[in-house]
Amino acid sequence: MNIDMNKVTEILERNPKEPGAIIAVLQDFQREFRYLPVPAMVKASELLHVPLSKVYSIATFYNAFSLTPRGEKVIRICKGTACHIKGADKILEQIEAGLKLKPGETSADMKYTVEVVNCVGACAMAPVLIVNDKYHGKVRCDQAMGKVKRG
Amino acid sequence: MAHITINGKVVKAHEGEMLLAVIKRLGIDVPALCNHEAIEPTGNCRLCMVEITRPEWEGWKKNVTSCLYPVEDGLIVNTHTPELLEIRKTLLDLQLARCPNSELIQKMAEEYGVHETSYIANVEGDNCIMCYACTRICEVLGKSAISAVMRGQKKVIAPPFGEEPVDCIGCLACAQICPTDVIPYEDKDGIRTIWKKKFELVTCKNCGKTIVTRDFADYLIEQRRIPHEYFETCDDCKRLELAKKMGGLITKAAEVAV
Repeated sequence: MNIDMNKVTEILERNPKEPGAIIAVLQDFQREFRYLPVPAMVKASELLHVPLSKVYSIATFYNAFSLTPRGEKVIRICKGTACHIKGADKILEQIEAGLKLKPGETSADMKYTVEVVNCVGACAMAPVLIVNDKYHGKVRCDQAMGKVKRG
Repeated sequence: MAHITINGKVVKAHEGEMLLAVIKRLGIDVPALCNHEAIEPTGNCRLCMVEITRPEWEGWKKNVTSCLYPVEDGLIVNTHTPELLEIRKTLLDLQLARCPNSELIQKMAEEYGVHETSYIANVEGDNCIMCYACTRICEVLGKSAISAVMRGQKKVIAPPFGEEPVDCIGCLACAQICPTDVIPYEDKDGIRTIWKKKFELVTCKNCGKTIVTRDFADYLIEQRRIPHEYFETCDDCKRLELAKKMGGLITKAAEVAV
């Protein structure tokens, strides 16, 4: 996949050029490209003086980073204890059937990515469905796909 | 100089050196897997735990990893309390579950009375105990070619992107420091293979023995200012040359004396 290297340079330009800024830089890459492209990581490693192995270590450690492109809409279904009790499985079934995607997969048109997360700290709202940055609480099965489509 | 009491015996030690170093110097058998003098201690394996106290603590005690605990004057250390033996037994039991095929872990566990793990043995896993000795020594050498990848159960030590590590110079430090010998490598037909990367080997011009990889030699010549002649002959041939030179000097000295 081709990426705009100018964007990479721009992100690197606006962040401090020191090892401590590596996570901030990777977060910016993730926001811009919806994943961490290899050439971007290599460039960041060189400029921030962080060994490539450490960049890769960080990139694989945090769930917020993805090494493969994510869809425009990232659908996250919480399967923490409270959401699990409140039927998160049923919500996931609806979404799997509606988008024909399994957790961790991205649709071929790059529109949707489905992910299962553990706990998002919003147990009072269980079951929780997150579409990009929007949190939907007390979701019912028949509402799930509507919320996915509307955002 | 500090005076500390280890298992009832007063010993001298340097203020600030780690307790484990003193314990080892005294020949006391405290197990440790992730400790090595070449790398900073991190207390990963936790086997070297000892009990410490001080008179003014009024009977209060605590268990610390001795590899990470600096000597201070007046410290009272016990290395084999029943509680410590129990802790080490549990740790080795867990290690044995993780690496049931490691002979070293088997032997160490055996010494603590664990003949078979009481947990579910990970029969298909490798023998990596995640002590990070390999990544730490690679960092010390100024390369950091490998690191921990992923997290939790999926965590492994690997090169970036699962490809040949660009920064690796084939020095073998990682393979040699590994307490459980997990990192495979091969020297064959003048080529070393480690982390799936191939390296040209430099051989002794006299006897043909393998010295180091070309990349490692170049790195030491450039970064550590070691003269390139150093990599022309192996240690054995260097010794032989030195012996010849010394022999000559002795003969000459004898002639002068006469």
